Amino acid sequence: MIVSMRFALFLFAISSALAQDAGATRADWPHYGGTQFSWRYSSLDQINTTNVKALTPVWMFQTGDYAENLQATPIVVDGVMYVITARARVFALDAATGRVIWHYQYPEPPRSVPGFVGNRGVAVGDGKVFFGTKDDYMVALDQKSGRLLWRVNIDDARQCGCNITAAPLVVKDKVLVGGTGGDGAHRGYITAFNTRNGRLAWRWYVIPGPGEKGNETWKGDSWKFGGGAPWLTGSFDPALNLVYWGTGNAASDFYDAERVVAGADKSKDVNLYTASVVALDADTGKLRWHFQEVPDDLWDYDSAYEVLLIDREIRGRLRQTLVHMNKSGLTSVLDRLTGEFLGTFSVPEVRTWISGVTEDGKLVGRNEPQLGKTITVCPSAAGAKSWNSMAYSPRTGFLYVPVNEICNDITPNNRAPEEGRGYMNGDFPMKLAPGRTTYSHVDAWDPVTGKRAWSMPYKYLLLASMLATAGDLVFSGNPEGEFFALDAKSGDKVWSYQTGAGNRGSAVSYAVNGRQYVGTPTGWHVSVVGALAQSLFPDQDWRLGSTLVVFALPESSR
Amino acid sequence: MKKSALTAFMLAISCSAQNLTEVLEQGEQVFAKSCATGYCHGVKGGPGGAPRLVGRHFDQAFINGVVTRGVPDTGMPSFATKLSRPDLVAVVAYVATLNGVTNPNIGAAGAAATTSFRPRLTGEGARGARLFSEAVRGFGRCSTCHEVGDLGTSVAAPIAKVPASATELKSLGTPDVKTAMMDGESMPVLVLSEGKQSIVFYDLTAAPPVQRNAEPGSVKFTDGSNWRHSSVIKSYDDSELAAILTYLRAVVKP
Repeated sequence: MIVSMRFALFLFAISSALAQDAGATRADWPHYGGTQFSWRYSSLDQINTTNVKALTPVWMFQTGDYAENLQATPIVVDGVMYVITARARVFALDAATGRVIWHYQYPEPPRSVPGFVGNRGVAVGDGKVFFGTKDDYMVALDQKSGRLLWRVNIDDARQCGCNITAAPLVVKDKVLVGGTGGDGAHRGYITAFNTRNGRLAWRWYVIPGPGEKGNETWKGDSWKFGGGAPWLTGSFDPALNLVYWGTGNAASDFYDAERVVAGADKSKDVNLYTASVVALDADTGKLRWHFQEVPDDLWDYDSAYEVLLIDREIRGRLRQTLVHMNKSGLTSVLDRLTGEFLGTFSVPEVRTWISGVTEDGKLVGRNEPQLGKTITVCPSAAGAKSWNSMAYSPRTGFLYVPVNEICNDITPNNRAPEEGRGYMNGDFPMKLAPGRTTYSHVDAWDPVTGKRAWSMPYKYLLLASMLATAGDLVFSGNPEGEFFALDAKSGDKVWSYQTGAGNRGSAVSYAVNGRQYVGTPTGWHVSVVGALAQSLFPDQDWRLGSTLVVFALPESSR
Repeated sequence: MKKSALTAFMLAISCSAQNLTEVLEQGEQVFAKSCATGYCHGVKGGPGGAPRLVGRHFDQAFINGVVTRGVPDTGMPSFATKLSRPDLVAVVAYVATLNGVTNPNIGAAGAAATTSFRPRLTGEGARGARLFSEAVRGFGRCSTCHEVGDLGTSVAAPIAKVPASATELKSLGTPDVKTAMMDGESMPVLVLSEGKQSIVFYDLTAAPPVQRNAEPGSVKFTDGSNWRHSSVIKSYDDSELAAILTYLRAVVKP
C-alpha cells in the first residue's frame, strides 16, 4: 500500500514535471508562442530579479523596412534568429551578434491587392522558413540559404479581401495558417500544407457548409459571408495530436438579423463556429470539439487570440487544460481533451457588454446593439487585449496579461454584403473608459482561481506581448518606447530601457553559448489598433520604427 | 440677359446642383462601403484605424491621386480598378467636401453613371462570371489557375481562345504540361523558366498548383503528362461550364 502510494506520488511528480516542461522554451525560441503550448515562457534564469538591473543592450538590428513597424515574434533555432518585416523581408541573423546570415525579399504585391501591411512572424521547421503574405501566399525558404523553395496561393486576396498577417504554425509534417478577412463578407478557414512540397493537406472552414453540422445555425446563405476568420496562430498538443485555434467574430459584426435563424433561442449556440476555440485533428483537420465563447457575437469580439495549453490541478484533479481569452477579456479554462468547461473569468475593470456569466459559462445580461440606436460598450472592438499575447509562468502559476480600458459607441446598420468588402455593419468610434486616469494595466491572473494576484497600471495603452522567464521576470514594452521588466511575483517594475520607438511587438528570450538574451522588436504602427490608440491620446507622438533590440548581462557579471 | 437665356442658365444650375447632390450622395455611400470599413477610415471621414480625412485641407486633385494610386507601403490600396469610374469620381468629390471644397468637379460622372468599368454582364454571362471564381468551390474553381479581368491567379497562360462547348473545354489538351522527375517522384508540371540559378515550375499534382523553385540538375522534364483539364473542373456540371464559356466569350479578347 505504501509502495503503491509512493509510486502514485512518483507518477504525479513526473507528470507535473512534464507539464511544467512542455510549455517552456530553453536555448531556442522555436515557435511563435515559444513552444507549441504558447506560454511565451523561457526556462532560462541567468537574468533574474537580483541581477536584472545590469541588463544592457548588446546588439540592435535596423530592418530598413519602415513601411510599418516590426511586429514579428523572432524565431531562434541553434543560435540563428529568423525575423520578418511588415513587407515580408526575411532575415536570418546570428542571434549573438545580429550579423546578417542571409536576407530574402518577397516581391512587392501590386498596389491593387488590398489588405494591411504587417507580418507577425515566420515559422521554422523541416529545414525551412515559412511565412504568409499580403497577396495571400504561403512561402517556404531554405532555412540555411534563404533560397525560395515553393510558394502556393491560399486565396485570391482581391476577391476575398483576406490575406495573411499571422505567423504560420508547423505541426509535424505540415504548416498551418489562418487568414484575415472576418470583418468583411468572407468565410474564414485554416489551411494546412505539406512542408515538403507545399501541396494542400487539408482546409477547415470555420463556418460549416450545407449538410454539415452547424450550418443550420446560419440563416439562408449567410454562412457564405459569415466571417469567423482565424487570423492569428494556434497551438498543438503532440500527445493528443490536436491542434487548437481561436476563430474570429461573426459577420456582419454589429448586426445579426441576416445571419441568425429567425426566432432562434439565444441560449443555443448560434453562428457556429465563430468566436470559438476549436480542437482539430492535426492529420485531417477534422473538428473534434468546439467551445463557443460568444454565441451570436454582436460586438466584434473575436476569439482569434492565442491558446495556452497548461496542466494544472483543479478541484483536486490534475487537468490538461486550455486557457483562452476572447477579445472581450472573458477568459475560458477548458479541458483540452474534451472541451469541457472548467471555469471563466473576465479581465477588464470596465465591462458593460454583459452583466455576468453563469457558473457553466453562459452569458447573462447581453447589452446588444440595435438598429437605430447608439449604445456605449466596454471593452471596445479593439479588445480588452489586442492580438499581442499574454504569457504564463509555471513557477508562479500566473498568466500575465496586458489589459486596456477603452469603450466604443456602436451604431449598427444593415447594409447588404459584397464579397470581400467590409461587412462590419456599424460605426464604432472609440473613447477612453470614463472616470479613470490610467487606461491599461499589466495583470497577473491565476487561471485556476480566476483571481487577480496583482495589477500594474499604466496611463496609456499596452499593446505589446508579454514574456515570462524562470528568472521570475515579466518583460514587455509600452508605446512611449520603454521596454521594461516586472517582478513576476509582485508586479514591481525592476528594470526598464528606452528603446527609442513605441513597443507593439513580441519579446523573446534565448541563449547562445550559455549566454541568455532578451530580444524585442520595436516600432509603433500607424494602422488599425495602433492608430486607434494614438487617436485617443492626440497629444502623444509615439514613434515609428522597425528595429530589434537585444539585451544581455555584461560578460563580466555573468 | 434675355429671359430665355436666363431660364436656360437657371435650368443648367439646378440640373448640375441636382446632379452634384446625387453624386455626393453616391460618394457618401461608396465611402461608407469601401473606405469607412473594417479598421480603415472612420465614419464620415473621422479618425479610425486609418488617418482622419475630414478638415485636412486636401484639394480634389490630391484626393484623386491618393484614391487612384494608393499610398505605397500602407494599407491604402489603389482604387483605380476596384471602383467603377463614376463611383471613384463620386467618392473623390465626397471626400473633397469633407475638406471644405464646396463645389467639387464631378466632370461627366453624372452622365457616365450608367457606364461601368467592367463589361456589364447579364443572364448566363453574369452567372458564368460568378461561377468562374465562386468561393464555395475552394480550389476547384477556374480562378485557381486562370486570371481573367482582375480576379484569379495566372498559373495558366492568358486564355486566348474560348472553347466552343463544355465537351471541348473538358477535352482540352494542354501540350505545355510536362512530366517532371524530382526527388524520385514524378509529377505533372507547367515549366515557367529554366535559368542558371533555378528552375521554376508549377507542380500540378493537386489543386492549388504549387510554384516550385528547384536547383538546376535536380529535376528532369519529359514531354507529355497524365494531367487532364477534365479532372480539375469536376466541381462544375455541363450547364455551369456552358455559362462560364458565355462569360469568357464576353470578356476574352482574341
